[in-house]
Amino acid sequence: MTDTTGHEEQSLSRREMIAATAAALAAPLLPATTATAPSPVALSGKFLTAPELALLDELTELIIPTDDHSPGARAAGVAAYIDGRLAESLEPEWQAAWRSGLQAVDGLSRELNGQPFLLATPDQRLAVLTRMAAGERAPNTPPEHFFTELKRWTVQGYYTSKIGIRLDQEYKGNVYQQGEYAGYDAK
Amino acid sequence: MTLVRVPPPLQQDVDLSQTYDAVIVGSGAAGGMAAHVLTSRGLRVLMLEAGKKLDINQELRSMQWPYDHPRRGDAPPGSHALSFNEYTIRQPPYAKGSAFKHVYSYVGGWGGSDYVKNILVDEKDHPYTGSNYAWVRARCLGGKTNIWGRLALRLSDYDFKAKSHDGYGEDWPISYADIAPYYDKVDLYLGISGVKENLPHLPDSQFQRPTKLNFGEVKLRHSLAEMGRVLTPYRAGVTTDGVKHNKYRSKCYGRGACDRRPGGCDIHAAFDSPTGLIYPAMDTGHLTIRPNSIAYEVLIDRNTGRARGVAFLDNLTRTPYEAKARVVILAASTLESARLLLLSRSPQHPNGLGNTSGHVGHNFCEHVMGPGVTGLVKEMVGKPRTLDDGRPGGFYVPRFRNLTDRQPGFIRGYGFEGNSGHSMFPAHTNTPGFGAEFKKTVRDHASAFISMGGFGEVLPRYESFVDLDPEVKDSWGIPVLRFHYQFSDNERKMAEDMNTTAREMFEAAGIEVVGADRKTLTEGWSIHELGTARMGSDPKTSVLNQFQQSHDVRNLFVVDGSSHVSASCQNPTWTIMALAWRSCEYLADEFRKGGGNL
Repeated sequence: MTDTTGHEEQSLSRREMIAATAAALAAPLLPATTATAPSPVALSGKFLTAPELALLDELTELIIPTDDHSPGARAAGVAAYIDGRLAESLEPEWQAAWRSGLQAVDGLSRELNGQPFLLATPDQRLAVLTRMAAGERAPNTPPEHFFTELKRWTVQGYYTSKIGIRLDQEYKGNVYQQGEYAGYDAK
Repeated sequence: MTLVRVPPPLQQDVDLSQTYDAVIVGSGAAGGMAAHVLTSRGLRVLMLEAGKKLDINQELRSMQWPYDHPRRGDAPPGSHALSFNEYTIRQPPYAKGSAFKHVYSYVGGWGGSDYVKNILVDEKDHPYTGSNYAWVRARCLGGKTNIWGRLALRLSDYDFKAKSHDGYGEDWPISYADIAPYYDKVDLYLGISGVKENLPHLPDSQFQRPTKLNFGEVKLRHSLAEMGRVLTPYRAGVTTDGVKHNKYRSKCYGRGACDRRPGGCDIHAAFDSPTGLIYPAMDTGHLTIRPNSIAYEVLIDRNTGRARGVAFLDNLTRTPYEAKARVVILAASTLESARLLLLSRSPQHPNGLGNTSGHVGHNFCEHVMGPGVTGLVKEMVGKPRTLDDGRPGGFYVPRFRNLTDRQPGFIRGYGFEGNSGHSMFPAHTNTPGFGAEFKKTVRDHASAFISMGGFGEVLPRYESFVDLDPEVKDSWGIPVLRFHYQFSDNERKMAEDMNTTAREMFEAAGIEVVGADRKTLTEGWSIHELGTARMGSDPKTSVLNQFQQSHDVRNLFVVDGSSHVSASCQNPTWTIMALAWRSCEYLADEFRKGGGNL
């Protein structure tokens, strides 16, 4: 039995990288500039409704945004990943916590901005997330608790994604090395 | 690159009508080594393994990217891994009443839990009772060698003659000179990577190519040298140059993702018992293995008082069988072998087999874990990525306490295992905040952390023991173990000292301490349980002689960690295999002489 390993997995192709970056750069411009309600044709998730998924998508991208180094959480499909985990979960309390957490985000946005999160301006959204993150060390309010959960799963989803591992982290392992570990002899 | 993978030998028919020369219970490091040595000497051997024979390559999928797995390596919904909190605030049996379909030990909570779900036992089927203990069990061919940490260390006369050194406990019935040739044999047969340091308390092995150190580790090594301490590259039970006599194993290619321990090593550069020992033993034509065979009693000939075989249940059908053999060898793990001896009660052996001393299950010891530090190597912040996890481990800081000095608070010592540099999942994601700044901070710090944690010797005490629970049974109706075991003042004082010295070593090297774990982890966390059927010269205070042979029943051997007289602070796997090799050579010699001493 032989097994040819490695080659097709060696790296993201340049084309893939450009496509991913372009998509990531383009995508946030739409909701950010138009600030309208999610389109009624927006896709719903496996667990989350279309508006919930759109809200989650925006939140993950705000936590890990596209920058000049690499695409962010939106391009990495983090919201869909979290939605998938929620959909197959056997823990109704956990599912409910996400649903109420997303509602708490909209609630906080109404309180601060007078409108739901996705209808708020970019600055207003930032203010909501900043308020949620303020209690990160010792979360107290429902939005603060939700932030720690949201960030944990965004981080997990992003840094286990192809974009996170290969483009952002530039991880060089999990391929057969021709040489050996880069480092120093013990002497 | 093309790797040629050799499939395992085909399973033979198991003939239970014949009497084998030896039957071995268990297939981990100890059982595998017994099979290797005995079959190479021409004995016909039957090996019973309680768990499945897994297609380990399919199981481990070592090179699968997280994003090619539907749950990024996590186990399916309905599975639960016990947490430190649960081990602390609850009492065994930990899975009792759990709403989850499957419950695993804390190892199931490591990244990549989907890859160990068939290796670890389901705690629901395998309860135990008594004091708090994080008992990690792997029932499958190869046992825990499929997921072990790979640190392969020798013990020294500081361990074998520890009582002579500090007056506590018992000396081993062997000295380093007795076992050194067998350490050499293990090194050469299986391959080990490391650097010679000429330390009397951590003898060197016959090393293959060492792995390298990265910047922070070199810095720490140089700083420690000025303190008279040592940082050495991880001594790994991994073949870095290859083992030409073994067609099932490849040399280490430094491909990375070694941090994913539960992903194992599907090219088997890291030692595991199936490819390192069992498959080659099967190729001799002298070894038959029977998976799914749960041993529950060592059978005794009522006329002679000698062991005549092993009674076992088929895991799946629950049908009872008997395996007949001239010699019975237990290698079921420290706690399972003790359990099996205690289960084997008969009119001749009312307290369990080989237990006239009353020491079976007692003198239970291991390593205390928990204290450790994480430091920031500032020079590495923002530096380009290097492949830092393309090696089986980072570094090891050997024991430095109570060698020439005498600590006021505790006896014996501890070492540190450490790692540093870039791995697949970045280290700094717990940094506060969000947005572009958070993302850049994580990226810039990905290679800049170094951490290490202590492993300290837990003293063996007669009062630390396991026995059979009078009521609770496992899913096969077999009485389970009840723990009477907790750390004492010596371990607590030692753990405090670990906290202090870990911090002082990082600070002396100019490494900023950014995190410190001060708490001691639950008993059992090291997965280094030892000592429940100890060796000794005096049959009144020990269970086995220096060849791991029962004082009471001469054709019964216990070749796993239960035979160890003390825990040392050095990881036990290499010693388990060296001792098993020595004992099985003795066994084979006696067998060939006609078995007068068996």
